[in-house]
Amino acid sequence: MALEFTRRELGRGFGRALVLAAGFAAMGAGAAWAQGEKIAVITPYLAQPGTQFYVESFQARAKELGWEVNVIDTAGDVAAVISRMEDVVAQGVNAIVLNVDPAQVGAGLDAAAAANIPVFGMDAGADPRIKANITSNGYAMAAETSVYVANRIGGAGNVVMFTFDAFPPVQVRGAVADAVFANHPDIKVLDRITPDVSDGGIADSRAKMEAILAANPEPGSIKAVWAAWDQPALGALQAIEAAGRQGEGIVITGIDANPQAREAIAAGGNFEASVAQDFAGIGATTADTVARVLGGETLRSGVIYVPTKLITSANAAE
Amino acid sequence: MAHFLRHYGSLIGMAAIVLFFWVMLPDTFMTARNWLNISQQLAMLIVVAVTMTVVMVMGDFDLSVGAMASLAGVVAAVLFTFGWPVWAAVLAALAVGLLGGLVNGALISLIGILPFVATLATLTMYSGAAFMVSDGKTIFGKAIPEAFAAFAKSGIPIGTVADKPAVLPWLTVLALAITAAVWVVLEQTTYGRRLYAIGGNAEAARLAGVKVAWLRLSAFAFTGVGAAVAGLMYASRVASANPTQGDGLMLTAIAAVFLGMTVTRDGQPRVLASLAGVVVLGVMDNGLTQLQVDSYVREVMVGAIILLAVSISALGRKAVGLR
Repeated sequence: MALEFTRRELGRGFGRALVLAAGFAAMGAGAAWAQGEKIAVITPYLAQPGTQFYVESFQARAKELGWEVNVIDTAGDVAAVISRMEDVVAQGVNAIVLNVDPAQVGAGLDAAAAANIPVFGMDAGADPRIKANITSNGYAMAAETSVYVANRIGGAGNVVMFTFDAFPPVQVRGAVADAVFANHPDIKVLDRITPDVSDGGIADSRAKMEAILAANPEPGSIKAVWAAWDQPALGALQAIEAAGRQGEGIVITGIDANPQAREAIAAGGNFEASVAQDFAGIGATTADTVARVLGGETLRSGVIYVPTKLITSANAAE
Repeated sequence: MAHFLRHYGSLIGMAAIVLFFWVMLPDTFMTARNWLNISQQLAMLIVVAVTMTVVMVMGDFDLSVGAMASLAGVVAAVLFTFGWPVWAAVLAALAVGLLGGLVNGALISLIGILPFVATLATLTMYSGAAFMVSDGKTIFGKAIPEAFAAFAKSGIPIGTVADKPAVLPWLTVLALAITAAVWVVLEQTTYGRRLYAIGGNAEAARLAGVKVAWLRLSAFAFTGVGAAVAGLMYASRVASANPTQGDGLMLTAIAAVFLGMTVTRDGQPRVLASLAGVVVLGVMDNGLTQLQVDSYVREVMVGAIILLAVSISALGRKAVGLR
């Protein structure tokens, strides 16, 4: 009995080791060893639709260039981005592409810099340790929609603004719209609202807009709503429709042209315009920029903008 | 020999994992620099896992550690924005951790709520508090003092590795110091032995004169403070704090302790075994990233390895029990 016990346990001990090792060997056999440049794309946000767009178009362009791309998603964990950066630096990749605020991954940027591995931002944010950040021009996007508003209302009337100055990429949009409206002496900014975004931004914007509508009951007392992104525009649209004031010709604009906004714009109601970022273009341009730097070129500007597109009812369904 | 294999089967499996990566990544895996990296990446998880071990030896666990780590990080960061000196903000965050841990302990030990229920509830509370304190925002940039962020970027110089100066990161040093301290408490003091006695049979321990209620309560102070330390380490590493950044630590830490339990002789949680569990999980992350294995495949594999190790260990114990 004692002997049988030992033999069984012996087998079990071996079994544990063998199963673990076998699993790994099987996986290792599957790992491919390509010859091209090795590029790591690291993001905590792969689950977000925009991120998927540019990662996919980056991969498509990289395939044409014969690169071996490793896309690493840390599922929202920013510290893990630093860890994975250190890992790919140890692995000796040729370049790293990030989709996260560089201010939060400084330790990873230092590791890459120490190993002379260039780092690129794909809609990431600027940092001296990043060769280039490829993104959309927030100033230009806000100029598109605020000028659209000014033109539509003939340069005169009350405008409600929804802004969010605490978040730098959105703050610049508000600053541009401020300048455009200030340049029209007959446009008055009735209110400049910062909605509570913890609920996604639509519900609180709707509540704020309902209050403004209640305070300005006269038809024509509000000519337009300019929102720095789509959610407040959608909330304002809901408020205007719920108040039965959709017939007053209040012009609403957003930015980002998310699917819900496109639907509202295509429907031809008060929500008239938004701006679409070219996510696929950002991905492809990032790959091209990496190629330029790996080819020995020195970039002059640390920021590369990919053109955006005004979306109105004419092209919202595209 | 048989005895050796019976007890060390999992350990051999862990060694096999390391060996596998060594063979597959001959130039970059088994290097001093990579291991310094891994040690630094794992520092936060080590702290949470070894302190989690303290309550797990009693058969309890603490689901609130991830939320507490997030809370401690934002508490310190918000105090920084009020102009508090680094030491004061850090102390305040640690105090929050201690308080949170004692609340857990009191709910479980004095009121008698199951640890799962009590710490699930406090998880929600601490997480909500983190959002309240930070207003839901990420605190970063100039708000975070240079000295605080520098902690995670620096360490003790240990000469040069591959012609570049290398440091033993402070994060690693701190994690190892806490591991050593918890090891001493659990393995070398009567306090620790009594916690194991409670885990073996709480009623027998009580009849033997062990102050079960008090010990259980105090043990949760370890997980609370450990989580706060880990949250501060995390905030220092990313030079920022947001109300969810530590949340992922909880499940991984519990997984690491379970993984460690498959190594120990009697299937009990042990500090050094938990450390080994953390290292295996970290090595898998590091090695699989270097092998360019897809992130999602990586997650599935890590889960599968945990299940595999724990099931084999469970089957082993069952077989012994049936005899």
